[in-house]
Amino acid sequence: MVMQASAATRTDVEEHDPVPTRPRASLLRRIGRNRTLLLMCLPAIAFFVVFSYAPMPGAWIAFTNFNYRDGIFGSPFVGLRNFEFLVQSGQLWLLTRNTVLYNLAFIVLGNILQIALAIMLNEIRAKYFKKISQAVMFLPYFISVVLIGVIAFNLLNYDTGYVNALIQQTGGDPIKIYSIAGAWPIIIVLFQLWQSTGYGSIVYFAAIMGIDNSLFEAAAIDGASAWQRIRYIILPSLKPTFIILLLFSLGGIMNGNFGLFWNLIGNNAALFSTTDIIETSVYRMILSQNNFTSSTAVGLYQSLFGFALVLLANWIVRRINEDYALF
Amino acid sequence: MMRNRLARAAAAALALAVTTTTLAACGPSDGTESGEPTTITMLVLGDKPTNGRLEAMLEELNPLLEEEVNANLDLFYVEWADWQTQYNTQLLAGDDSIDLITTATDWLFAWENAEKGAFLPLSEEMLQEHAPRTWEQVDAEGHWELTKLDDGQIYFIPEDNFTQWTNHGFFYRGDWAAEAGFEDGTITRFEDFTTYFEWVKENQPDAYPWDVAGANEAALIGYLQGHTDGQTIGQLTAGNYFPFQTTEADPYTVTSWYMEGDELLEAAELAKEWNEIGVWREDALNYDGQTREQFFAGLSGVDQHHTQTYVGTIVDNMTKKQPGSDPKFFYWGQENGNVFRDILTHGAMAVNATSNNPEKALEVYDVIRNDQEAYMLLTAGIEGTDYVITEDGELGYPEGYDSSTDALGSNFWAGRMDEFELDRVTDAPNKQEIYDGLDAVAKEYPYSTFVPNKDLIDPTLAAMGGVLSEYIPQLQYGKFDDPAAAIDEMRQKLLDAGYEDARDSIQSDMDAWAEERGLK
Repeated sequence: MVMQASAATRTDVEEHDPVPTRPRASLLRRIGRNRTLLLMCLPAIAFFVVFSYAPMPGAWIAFTNFNYRDGIFGSPFVGLRNFEFLVQSGQLWLLTRNTVLYNLAFIVLGNILQIALAIMLNEIRAKYFKKISQAVMFLPYFISVVLIGVIAFNLLNYDTGYVNALIQQTGGDPIKIYSIAGAWPIIIVLFQLWQSTGYGSIVYFAAIMGIDNSLFEAAAIDGASAWQRIRYIILPSLKPTFIILLLFSLGGIMNGNFGLFWNLIGNNAALFSTTDIIETSVYRMILSQNNFTSSTAVGLYQSLFGFALVLLANWIVRRINEDYALF
Repeated sequence: MMRNRLARAAAAALALAVTTTTLAACGPSDGTESGEPTTITMLVLGDKPTNGRLEAMLEELNPLLEEEVNANLDLFYVEWADWQTQYNTQLLAGDDSIDLITTATDWLFAWENAEKGAFLPLSEEMLQEHAPRTWEQVDAEGHWELTKLDDGQIYFIPEDNFTQWTNHGFFYRGDWAAEAGFEDGTITRFEDFTTYFEWVKENQPDAYPWDVAGANEAALIGYLQGHTDGQTIGQLTAGNYFPFQTTEADPYTVTSWYMEGDELLEAAELAKEWNEIGVWREDALNYDGQTREQFFAGLSGVDQHHTQTYVGTIVDNMTKKQPGSDPKFFYWGQENGNVFRDILTHGAMAVNATSNNPEKALEVYDVIRNDQEAYMLLTAGIEGTDYVITEDGELGYPEGYDSSTDALGSNFWAGRMDEFELDRVTDAPNKQEIYDGLDAVAKEYPYSTFVPNKDLIDPTLAAMGGVLSEYIPQLQYGKFDDPAAAIDEMRQKLLDAGYEDARDSIQSDMDAWAEERGLK
C-alpha cells in the first residue's frame, strides 16, 4: 500500500516520466541491493509465518461449537458463547489482574536490576573477577524451571523443607508456606529475577560498551566522579535501549511465564488467588476439561488485549519522543 | 500403486463427506485382499516399552494376522505424561495413520470424542461383515445399546465380556490395624481410619499415615459413598469431577452431593481432623512423589486405588516387600453397600473417523479379540519368554522375570475376554473371595444407556469444573479454617456458574430417557 501510494505521488510530480514500471524496477533493485540483509531476516520471517500467521485462522475455533468431523471451519458457529464461559467462571478479572501485575513487577524490577548489574559489572576493573561474576549471574538462566520447582519445594515445604528445618533448629515454629497465598507473589518474583537478571543485563552491558569513549575521557578531564559518569553519561545512553526493551515486554504483558508458575504452584488451589495467570488457567482447562473452544477463546482474548497494549504503549512513547517509537 | 493409493484416499475422503450411514457400502479397501498386507495402527495408552519384547511379540502375531485377514498390527502410544491432553489432542488432530483407538466412557472421554466426530460410526452391516464374532457376542447380550449416541449409531465396541472391579478404596496394613486395636486387623467403617491413622502417627515415626500426592478427592468421596445413597452419573463430568448424582431412593431425580445435604461438610470436617493429625504431608498438593512405592517401602500406612490393583499388584508386592504386613482392602460404600459393578464401557475400541482402512481395522480387531492364539500373544506375549503356564494352569513368569523392566506393555484394554484370561500367580490368594463379596452386594449401574445432551451446558460444566478444582482439593486436605463457610462459598459459585440450569437440562434428558424405557 505505502509503496503504491508513494509511487503514485512520484508519477504525479514527475509528469515527464513515461515509464510506469519504474517503481517496480526500483523495488527489485532495492531488493537486490539489500539481498544480504533480507536473507538474514528470512529465518525470522519464516518463523513468524509458520508459527504465528499460518495458525491464525484457527482462532475461528473460539467462535464455534467445535467438533472433529466438521473441522475448524465446518463446525457450527456459536458467536460469543465460548467467551461467556470466561465471564461465567468469574476468573477473567482475576487472571487479567494477576498476569498484568506480575509482568509489571518483572518488567520494572527486572530492568532496574539489570541496569544496576550492568553498570556494576562495567565498574569492576579486575578482569577475572568480572568474568567469574558474569558467569555466576548467568548460570540460573540455564536451569530448567522444572528443577526450579523441585528446588523451591525442597526449600519451602513444611515437613522436610530446608527453610523450615532451619527455623525449627533455631527454636521457631515451622511456616506453612504452601498455604499462604500472600507470600507467593514475593517468592515468584524473586525466582523470576534470580533466573533472568544475569541474562537480561547482557543487553545493557553491551549498550554501555557501545558508548563513545571520548565522552568518558571528556568527563574525566572535567573532573566528573564515578557517580556523575553514571548519572550523566551511562544512564542517558541506556534510555533508547531501555525504551525498546520496555516496549517489547509491554507487548508480552498478557503472556505469563507458564513454566515457572506451573512448576512452582501446580494444582495448589489455595494459592490461585494470587498466583493464577492466564496460561496456567488455560492449561488446566485443556488438561482437565477437554475444552478446546474455551481455551482458544482465552488465547484470542489474550492476544487482542496484548495487541491493544502494544499500540497503546507505542502511542504513549511517540507522544514523549517520536524517535523512540517502534512504528 | 501410487494411483491406487490416491484413489483409495480420495474414496475415503468422499466416504467421510457422504452421510455416515452409507459408509459401509463404500468399502474402499476391499480390493487389496490379495495384495500387500495393510498395516493397522492401534492407539493404546501407556509408556512405549523399550525392552524389545513388544516387537518380538508383533513378529509372531503379524504372520498370524496376515494369514487370517492380510493385515499387520502396529501400536501407537499415548504416554502417561499429560495423557488426558495428549489423548484428546491426538484425536483432535484427525491423524489418518491411526485406525483403531482405545477409549472408555468413564476415563477416556469416549462420549465427548464421539460427539466431536473423532470416531467412525459403525453400521450394523459393517460390524456383521467385518467383525462377525465380536458382533455376535456383544449383540447376544444386548450391549450395543451401551455404545450409541442419541443419533442411534454405534460409536465403539465395548469390552463387555471381561470381569473387573474398578471400585476404589483404601489399601491398608492388617498388622498395623491389629496393633491399633482392630479385630483381625480389619477396618469396616470409613471413620475408623482416624484410629488407624493416629496409631501410625504415634508408632511408626518414619511413615506418613497416608502419603498421598496432588489433587485428590478420595477422602471426600470415600465418606460420601459410605454415608449417602448417592449414585454418581458417570457420563457427566465437570473438569475432573463428577458433580451430578441421583439417589437410590429417588433414582430419576438429578441432584448433586456437592450441592445438597450435610454429608459433604461432615466429610470435610473429618478431612480437617485428619489434616490436623498429620495424616498426609502438609504440602500434599504440591508434593509429587511415588506414593505407592512409599506404601511398599513401609513408609505409608495407606494407599488408595481400586480392587483390580489390590488383587493384581498390592498383595503380591506387599507380601514380598513387607512380609507379614497382611495387606487389606476397604472399599468405598462398604458400610452401606453403595457400590456399583463396573460399567461395560470402562474399556472400548473405536475406529478412527479418518482411518483409510476402517473395514480392515475391524477385521484385525475381530481376530485379536476372538482368536485365542492371537489374543494370548497380544495380551501376554510369547510363551516361555514373556510368560509360562504353571502346573496349576495359572499364568506365571519365567525365571528371572522382573515385571518392572520386562513387561510386554501392549496395554490392550479394549477387548479382553474372560474365557481367555488365566489366573495369575501374582494374583491375591483371596481374589475370588473379594470378587464374590463384591458380587453379592454390588448394584448394577442404572444409567448405562443414558446419553445426556451436553451441547448447551458445556460452558456451564467447564465453569463448574473450574470452581470444583479450586475448592475440592482444599476440602479434601482439610485446608480451610472454616469448612462450612468454604462449602457455602463453593455452592454459591456453582450456582453462579449455572448449576441449576445444567441440572434442569440433565433432568429433562433424564425424564425423556426414563419415560422412553418405561422406568418412570
